[in-house]
Formats: sequence, structure tokens, C-alpha cells
Amino acid sequence: MKRILPLLLAAVGALAAADKPTVTVFMYSEYIDPAIPKAFEAATGHPVNIQVYEAQEDMLAKLRTGGTAQYDVVVATDVVVPQLINSKLVQPLDAAQIPNAKNVDAKFHGQPCDPKNVYSQPYLWGSIGILYNITAVKSKDAVSWKLLLDPAAQPGPFVFMDEVRSMMGVTLLANGKDINSHVTGDIKAAAETLIAAKGSTKCLGFEGGVGGKNKVVGGQAVAAVVYSGDAARAIVEGKDLAYAIPVEGSNLWVDNMLVTVAAPNKAGAHAFINFILDAKIGAQNANFIQYPTPNAASLPLIKPEDRANTVIYPDEASMKRLYLLSDLGNDTKTYDAAWTMVKSR
Amino acid sequence: MNAVQSPERQKSATQPIVYHGEFTTVKRLRRRGWLLMSPGIVWLIFFLALPLFGILTMAFLSRGEYGGIEWHFTFENLFNLFGFGPLGWARDNFVIFTRSIILASVTTLLCLLLALPIAITISRSPRRWRMLLLALVMVPTCVNLVIRTYAWQLVLGNQAPPAWICQQLGLIGPHEALYPGAFAVYVGMVSCMLPFTILPLYSSVERLDWQVVEAVHDLYGGRWHVLRHGILSQIGPGLIAALVLTLVPSLGMFVVSDLLCGAKFNLIGNLIEQQFHSASNWPLGAMMGLTLVCVSLAGLMALFRWGNGLGGGH
Amino acid sequence: MRLGKTAFTATLVGFLLMYVPLLAVAVMSFNTTARGQRWGGFTTAWYVHMVGNQKILEAAWNTLVIAVASTALSTILGTLLAIGLSRTPLSKPMRRCTDLLTGLPVVTPDIILGISFVGTFAMLRSLTPWFNSGLSTLIIAHTTFEVSFVALVVSARLAMIGQEQIEAARDLYASTHVMWRKILLPQLAPGIIAGALLAFVLSVDDFVVTFFLYSPTVTPLPIMIQGSLRMGVTPDIHALSTVIVAITTLAIVGAALFSRKPPTEIP
Repeated sequence: MKRILPLLLAAVGALAAADKPTVTVFMYSEYIDPAIPKAFEAATGHPVNIQVYEAQEDMLAKLRTGGTAQYDVVVATDVVVPQLINSKLVQPLDAAQIPNAKNVDAKFHGQPCDPKNVYSQPYLWGSIGILYNITAVKSKDAVSWKLLLDPAAQPGPFVFMDEVRSMMGVTLLANGKDINSHVTGDIKAAAETLIAAKGSTKCLGFEGGVGGKNKVVGGQAVAAVVYSGDAARAIVEGKDLAYAIPVEGSNLWVDNMLVTVAAPNKAGAHAFINFILDAKIGAQNANFIQYPTPNAASLPLIKPEDRANTVIYPDEASMKRLYLLSDLGNDTKTYDAAWTMVKSR
Repeated sequence: MNAVQSPERQKSATQPIVYHGEFTTVKRLRRRGWLLMSPGIVWLIFFLALPLFGILTMAFLSRGEYGGIEWHFTFENLFNLFGFGPLGWARDNFVIFTRSIILASVTTLLCLLLALPIAITISRSPRRWRMLLLALVMVPTCVNLVIRTYAWQLVLGNQAPPAWICQQLGLIGPHEALYPGAFAVYVGMVSCMLPFTILPLYSSVERLDWQVVEAVHDLYGGRWHVLRHGILSQIGPGLIAALVLTLVPSLGMFVVSDLLCGAKFNLIGNLIEQQFHSASNWPLGAMMGLTLVCVSLAGLMALFRWGNGLGGGH
Repeated sequence: MRLGKTAFTATLVGFLLMYVPLLAVAVMSFNTTARGQRWGGFTTAWYVHMVGNQKILEAAWNTLVIAVASTALSTILGTLLAIGLSRTPLSKPMRRCTDLLTGLPVVTPDIILGISFVGTFAMLRSLTPWFNSGLSTLIIAHTTFEVSFVALVVSARLAMIGQEQIEAARDLYASTHVMWRKILLPQLAPGIIAGALLAFVLSVDDFVVTFFLYSPTVTPLPIMIQGSLRMGVTPDIHALSTVIVAITTLAIVGAALFSRKPPTEIP
């Protein structure tokens, strides 16, 4: 009997675990340490199904067309969170199931997109900037967006990011305007700046994802607009590369975790979010992906070399000139008309 | 021979006729014909035509403030189509449309020029190898288009042989690559669409009556005449099918031009995709998409009428 | 009649254009560099890695199932449609309607197709759970847009089949059934096969329509590949593509080598 009981318990435990439904998470590809879903399953018994999307808009389109009943947790950048909330694609979080929320750095709570964190908890954050080749870009002054936007100052072949809010936003900043400007004149001027910049032969075009970074690493371009995490990796992979947040400022983005409105596994979704916000797990994740963590409790556990790396964790001065993007409501149409102009002329 | 075109339509429906050697009535022919067609027709109506009416409705709704769809009927999308947007009137939509038409037409022309000899070559090879060659034509399509286009970036890059040769010949600068640029885009487009041109063309080329071609050759002699009167006159329906199956998908494509021309120049496909993605303006996207459908459909119907309907019309 | 150098050059150029990217993909699949386009060294590690990758194999299986099912359905529907269209005397307005309907999937942009399917299945789902996103909806959607392509190709073929044989068969008192089996379908076979091939590759390579209809449990290959492109094309995707090409080519060559000698063609 003594031998059988543990076996029975194990069998019952295994059966119980087998009964636990999957948690389906929708995020960017290669955006989580593969060991973490396994650890989650070991800790809670819920298997994790990581589904990937390539761009925020793909995720939005999927959720709008019935995806809310297929995914439990979605990772969304702050700029699209208002769309998710107001289109009723996500549900309020049950704070009682996410005690680890207290670990989050207060700076990353209360973002304009979700001021009281009713729907979201931060996942990772980062910046956008210029990745460039030090030998090709000999600039004594601090790096400015004019390096890419002024045809006279372009150092060599370069790549823009194929993302409307990012490019329009940084161009607005370069022109001295608000990154979320609602002023038609400003928007039009930004579009014209971009058209002039794009028209030069040195502009290799717009690329999404890591296209720009790969070109700089591979030597086909000397500069590109990239995400900070990609830049950190590029500096390791390539030679003589550096990353800069230009003087005029740039975009700070925060990726958040939300629960869909018709999530099949609500409890599992909350458990997953809580798991990610755990200090140790948060640190493990950030160390693996090399993006900065919004989790204050995880900071002491981050690798020292990452902590000191200003590409991943910008210094105070840089942080001051990073701005969040906000949803534009009806003015989105103006930005899109401008973007069509930029891409067509 | 077509009894339907006779003015006494009512009477001839039950009158016995000889239809391709078959002694029957128009009524019975129609009944049998509909029996054959109905699975396909019903399927298409139910799963395509009816849903498209939903899209038509969407085209006249407006974009919600947060990217959803509001049940507020408006003609704004129609105005947007003609260039009237928040920034005033912009010529971009027309530029995009013209650009797409040119790209698609040139691609189709190049594909047809290559596909016809290839189809003829395949149809004249030993019987055993015909299916093999045909299937080999389709094999490249099994690989994801994005991957194939990235491969063209590699092949046309500044360190690969083709660019190296052009650099030596002085056609391009010392460290330049063959892409981004129009040349690369056309190479990519033809490479992608060629199988879709070859297949329908082969379908009718295989039944080409070479004796007629010989006769034309004996009568006229010139290669152009042989081509026009001997070959092209016979394979009309196949040519039209090939034209349609190449031109129309090319109109909507944008992946190749994005990857091989740096996404610098929007095409219709980019514009429509933009509405469903970054703009979250589904009604406008629906309007643009449906306009494309109408334009293509008009062209299609004109082509069909020229070729007397699908199947050559009997 | 000699074909001449033009045909030969064109064939060479055509096959080059179609196969050069595949060669590049095959070469890059042996690259040690994980990302980017530089050559690092030769390795077969990616093929090993790919075989062990459960997700890729599952996605490939899903794609295959959907492609085979939709090809079968669409070939049958499309062929019947084409034969019916050509063998039925229709009034002009009716013919225009059927032509329009048959041409609709070809002219509709993928995104519009995708969205319209989403709407349809959303409505049908309220009637029966059979239309939940996944295999069934994907097969139905793929069949819908393939039917037109098959019908177009088969129609082109039908137009080329001379009426003399059919009339001769009728004169010899052949019934419709016999006429179909012995005359029409064998003559039509190359067209049907061409149409089926077209349908198959359309399904395997489709992204946009599939994007709107896939579910977390049924993820076809193009979706998986696209999702990982954000981080750059990795050699194991190159390896996968090369394997797909190799298997398909071997299957085709095998079928050609071992097929029995085709019956003597009626001249």
C-alpha cells in the first residue's frame, strides 16, 4: 500500500494536469525565453501555446475577426491598446489574481493608454533609434535625425523603418513638433520631409522587422532606424556599430500584456501574466531577449553588463527625450493620407 | 449553329436540334448543363457572391474612432478613392493605380513572351515527360513567395555573380547591387508569375494543330505570320486564360515590389493592405478592394466577350 | 517544323528565372550564419534541427491536408463547371452572369476574399459549430478561390477539343456516358491535371486568406514562416523549403518514371 499510494497520487496528479487547459499567448516571434513557458507548465500545469504575429496590425486584424475566442493573452504595444480597449477586444484584469503587479516600476504603470492599469500590465519596453556604422558616420556632434532626413547630411546607404507612427513620429520630432501632433500642417510638413529624404539615392527604402538591422550588420547599409533590442544584438554580431537616440528625441514604446474579452482560459491567462511579473522570471526573460524590463523587482537580477549597456537601458538624459505614442483617434486618417503620400511619390 | 440565337426562342427550346452530333432539345441540354454547373455555381454564390454583398455594405460605412466599423453610412470612402482626403486633394491614388497597371501589364507581356515558347517546347516533348515538365514548372511555387523574393535579394546583391558581371561591364557602379530597382522588380515578378502563365497556355497549346501551322508557313513564310495566323489564332481561349491569370493577380501584388524596390513606391496592393493594417480603416479598404474587383471584372468580361465567353462559346 | 533557337532560349531563360531563387535558398540552407545574408560556413545542422522541430512538421502537415482536400474538391467542381458552361446553350445575359460569377474569385484581392470569408463563417458559426476556424473553414475557403482557376484552365482546354470526334462518336450511337468516359475526359485530362496542379500550389502558397481563418491549433506553413520573418529568414526555413522542393520533385520524377506507357493518342 505504501508503494501504491504515491503512484496513485502521481497518476491523479498527472490526470489533473492533463485536464488543465492550454493558455494561448499571442506575441511577436522570439519574444520570450523558451524555458519560461515550460517553467509555467511545470509550476501550474497549464501548457502554453505561443502563437506569433509579425506586426501589431496583424494581431489587431486577427482579434477583430474572431480571434478573441482563440487567444487568452495578447502582447500589444501601448499605441494600439486604446484600440483594443475601445473596440471591446480585451477584458479588465482581475487584480486579485495578479499580486506580482506590485513588482512593476511605477514609471511603467499609469501609461496614457491605460491610466489605471485596468486592462494591461507591462511586459517589456524599449526605444527606437539609429543604428550606425562608426567608421562611416564620423559625426563629432551628437547624432541627430537630420543624419537620415536631410539629403545633404546622409552618410551613405541607409534604411528607414516601415512603420507609419514610428517614422512619422520621429520626423515630427526632428521638425521640432510634438510626436503625437494633431496639427494637419505639421503632419503634412513631416510627410514632405520624409519624401525628400526618401528621394535621395542613398535611401535604400523602408523595411520592416530586422531588415534594416541586417543590412547594417551585413555592410549593405551604414545606418538604419531600428528597435533598441535589435540594435543591442547587432552591435554584438557586427563590427564598429553603435546605437544612438537622436538629440531631438525618439519613441519610447511599452509592450503590455492583456487578456482577450472571450478568452477560453481566463484563470490561466491571469496566472501567466502573474508568472511573467515575478521578479526572477522577469529577469530571466529580459536577460534572454535583451530588452529592458519594466519590473523593478527584476532589476537587481539583470546581468550587470546588460544593466550597464546604454543601448538596452538608456541613461537619464536619453530617457528624458523618449516619448510615448498616443492613439490619434480620428486623426489617424490624416496620418495615413500622409503616409500614402510618403510611400507613393 | 446556335439555336438559342434564333428569334423564335420559345419555340426552339423544345424543338429537336442536333447539338454537336447529339440529337436532343435545347431544354434537355440546358437541364443537363445546369446539373453539371450547379455544384460549382451554388458553391460560388453561397461562399463568395453573397459575402461580397456584405463587403459592399462595409464600403459605405465609416471608420470608428478606434479603428472599428461604425454603422454610419457615408460616401467619404468614395471621395477618398478619388484623392479627396484629410490633406486636401492628392494625386497619389491615381499615381498608384497607373503604376500598378503598368507593372502588371509589362509583367504579363514579359510572361507571355516567355510562356508561349516554353508551352510549345513542353507540348512537343515526348509524351512521357510532358507532365513531368509541367509539374516542374509548378514546383517553385511551392516555396513561399516571400522566401523566394528574399532569395532574389541574395542573387541580385552586390557580391553575387550577376551584379559582379554587370559591374565589370560597366553597366552599374563599382559596389552597386542590381536591386533595389525596376529591373529587380520585373525579374521578381516574372519569376513569380511565369508558372501561372505557362499552365493555362499549355492547356490549349497541347492541342495545337501543327498541320495548320505548317500550312500557314507554306503560304506566308514569315515567322510573324506563322505566329499570328498559325499559332495565336488557334489558341485564343488559352491565351486569354493565361492573360487573365497573370494580369489580375499581378495587379494586386505588392510583396515583390516591396522587397525588391525598398517599399518606396506604393502599389494598389500596398494601399489596400495599409487600410486593413496600419490605418485600421476597413471600410476604405473594402471600397478600394471592390473598385479593383469591378475594374478587373470589366476587363475580364471584355476579354471573355472577345473570346466568346468561357469555353469558346458554342 | 523546327522550333528554332527562340523557343530554346526562352525556355532556358524561363526555367532560370523560376529556379534560380530555389538554388539560392538551397545554398543558404547550408549556411552556418543564423541570420542575415553573409556566408558563414557549411553545415547540415539546420536540416537536423528542422526534423526535430515539432511545430514546423505539424504546420507542414496541416498545409498538405488542406491543399489535398481543397484541390480535390475544387478540381471536381471546376471541371464540372467548365464542362457545363461549354456544353450548355445559354442566353447572352445568362452567359454573362455565369462568366462573371466564375471570374469573381480571380479578380477579388486576397484581403477582400479573406474578410468576406470571415464574415460568412462568423454567421454560419452561429448555426453550427462545424464552421469554427480551423481545418474545415480553411478547406472551404481555399476551394472557393481555386474553383475559378480550375474552371478557366479546363475551359481553355475544352475549347481546343475538336467537335469532330464527339460528333463521330454520336454518329456511332455512343451514349453520353460512353462519350464522356472514352472521348471527352481522356482528351480533357491534361487540362484537368494542369488545373489541379494550379489549385494545389495556390493552396500551398496562400497567405492572406489563410491568415484570416487559421486558429492557434491549425497553423499552416505560410503563417508560421511569415510569423518568424520578423526576426529574419533563418536557414532552417531555407532548409524546410529545400526539403519541400526536393520531395515534390522526387515525387513527380518518380511518378513520371514509373507511370505506364500512355495509350496511343487518337491523331
